[in-house]
Formats: sequence, C-alpha cells, structure tokens
Amino acid sequence: MDRKELEAKVIELVAMSYNKDAAELSTSTSFKDELKGASVQMVALVAEIENELDATITLQDAAGCETIGDLVDVVEEEM
Amino acid sequence: MSVLDKIYEKAKLNPQKVAFPEAANEKMMQAAFEAGKEGYIIPLLVGKAEDLRALVKERGYEESVFTFVDIEDEETTAKIIEAYVARPDTLLKEKALRRRMADPLYYAMAMQKAGEADVTFAGIDNTTGDVLLAGQMMIGLKPGISTISSIGLADIPGFEGSEESLLAVGDSAVCTNPNAEQLADIAISACETVQSLLGWEPRCAMVSYSTLGSGQGELIDKVTEAVRIAKEKRPDLNIDGEFQLDAAISPAVAQKKVKRESPVAGKANIVIWPDLNVGNVGVKLIQQFGHADVYGPMLQGFNSVVCDCSRGAPVSEIKGNVIISAVRAAGMKKV
Repeated sequence: MDRKELEAKVIELVAMSYNKDAAELSTSTSFKDELKGASVQMVALVAEIENELDATITLQDAAGCETIGDLVDVVEEEM
Repeated sequence: MSVLDKIYEKAKLNPQKVAFPEAANEKMMQAAFEAGKEGYIIPLLVGKAEDLRALVKERGYEESVFTFVDIEDEETTAKIIEAYVARPDTLLKEKALRRRMADPLYYAMAMQKAGEADVTFAGIDNTTGDVLLAGQMMIGLKPGISTISSIGLADIPGFEGSEESLLAVGDSAVCTNPNAEQLADIAISACETVQSLLGWEPRCAMVSYSTLGSGQGELIDKVTEAVRIAKEKRPDLNIDGEFQLDAAISPAVAQKKVKRESPVAGKANIVIWPDLNVGNVGVKLIQQFGHADVYGPMLQGFNSVVCDCSRGAPVSEIKGNVIISAVRAAGMKKV
C-alpha cells in the first residue's frame, strides 16, 4: 500500500469512527478543532486501524496526533 | 455491621467470577486467594497457567481455590474469540483480537465480554490508562454514556445523612474536566452504581457554588445544563441541582435555600462534583477533616464491571475492592 492509498484508507476509517463524510476530510483535518471527538471515538478508530490495517498503535500515540496526516505517519511506522 | 461487612455478606450469597490478569503479582494473588477461599468470589487466574501454578505452589496457596485460564491454550482461546466476535457490540475482529489477547489484560476482558467472567480486576502492574483503554476497547461503554468516570463510597463518622454515615461522591478520580453532557452521564452512571452495589434508591445532587440560581456564571451554567440533560435522558432517576453541598445533604439548609419541591435537596445520597479539581480536593477534605474511609474509586460507564486498583494498594484494600466489584457485577445482572 503506498502513501496515497494509506491516506485514503485512514481517512475512510476516521470518517467511519467519527461519523463524518470522508469527502469532507483531508490529511490536514484537525482532530481537536474540527472533529472534536471524545476518547471513545478515538478508541473506536484505533480498533478499526487494527482491524483493517493490521497495525497496532497505542491510544496515547493516536491521541497525540494533531491532524489525520500525523495519524497516517504513526500508522505507516507500525506497518 | 459496617458497610463493608454488609457488602461482604452480599458477595457470599452470590459469588461472581473475577478474572485476574495480573495474578502473578504477589499482592494480587494473595487478595484473589483470600477472597476466593473465604467464598466471596470465584477467582480466575489469567496468564501462562504453568507459571501461575508454580507460583501458587511456591507461595503455599491451595490450588483448588483457583481456576487457571491458560492464555496459550488454543482451544480455550478459540472459544473465547468465537463468542466475542459473535457479539454485535464489539470493536475488534478476529485477527486484531487474537493479537491483543497475547496480553492477559485483554484476554481477561475478552473472556468477560464473552460471558466467561463477570469482572476484570487489574491495575497493580498496568497503569490506570492501560486499564481504561482496554476496558473501552474490549468491554465498551454503556449505550448512551459518553465517558468513563468513578465514584467513591465515603463512610463519614458523625455524618447523619439520608443513608446514615454513608455518602457516594464522584467523580474524584477519572474524568478531568467533564462538559455538561459528560457531567450528566457521570450522574446517571453514579445512580446505577449505587443501585447495583447497595440497592439504594438514588438521590443524586449535582453540586456547585450556587443553589438554584443564587449565583451566576459559566461554571454554574455547566452544572445547570448537566442537570437538564440528565433529567431529559433519565427522567426515572432522582437527579437534581444545582445545589451547594450543604443544600444537597442538610435538610435544614435545604429548607432555607431550596424554594421548590425536590426529591433530592437535603437528602442526597450521591454528590456529583462539577470537575476533578473539586472532586479530588473534596474527597480529601472528607478524609482529612471528616476522618472518613472512602472505598473505591469504582469505575463506571462500562458495559460491565472493570476495576482498577491503585498500584500502591495493600492486600486488604485490593481484597475489599475485588469484593465490591463482584457485588456490583451481581447487582448489574438484576438491573
């Protein structure tokens, strides 16, 4: 999976976990300012990443990501 | 008979299966043994069974008190995975679940979700963060509840409240700065926790520095909004406010300050703090000046009982919290 495909997949998983339209999201979308999710949504996202991408990331690492692009970096490192 | 004695008696009537993923820890094993030997719980030791058996022998405990759950046993693991993934309310799929289950903490919670255990008790080797994350991922939050939180049960010498010397207080340990919706959910969860543990009819006061509009400002607005949300979500529960602490628990003060009917004012048996600053200071005031014993924190908001103990906890405290969590689990089955 190349970077672009990974970005698209992570965006799809973020959209699913935060109940958003994937078309509205990009790698620069901010978790804190735009998605404003609770920790329960971040847990669901971490679980989806494990299910779909076979990458086990910690909640702390995921919660430390400012944007979706940062999360893609973390996932890429674990794959 | 103290409140703890009463809870212990209740536990004996219906012992629950408590999974211990940190069973190798000496204090944890001793607490599990004592609670199991005395008939309060059925202790399940989760880990590498051969290692755990060797430790049990070395430490001189009777093996027959324990049930060993071997995380390397393929047949058992497959059965748990099958039952877990068949549930509609789980997050992980088989492959990811199997990977997580290499960790006894996740294994124990998978067992609990699959119906093979009633409680997971951890926190002596794992951090609170580890336990909360695993709980959210494996057990999940109760439908409609947005946050994990906690309450403590204070036994305050000389306090003559509506439950004699007892008062449930929360959240003093987990949810740092809840918004109005989260604060409402803490109150709702607290009502359910005291129902399941103590069988009380909950009367839950949401406290602030104002009583029904006597003060104004954004700190109060959060509490009044939380009261509104809680009442809307659960009109069946007695949740009211905003009250000052004295108006919540003292009938005389309530009579003066609360000029409308309230099922809670003056006779609250649960007090919900507006945030963790107040909660943590509040519970320490009760302990330091009121010389109270405060049992807990009891985690709440999960679909079933997950318990996190302090890493510095002595065996007696661990045992008490194990038994409390078992009684909560038995109570939740009835609700």
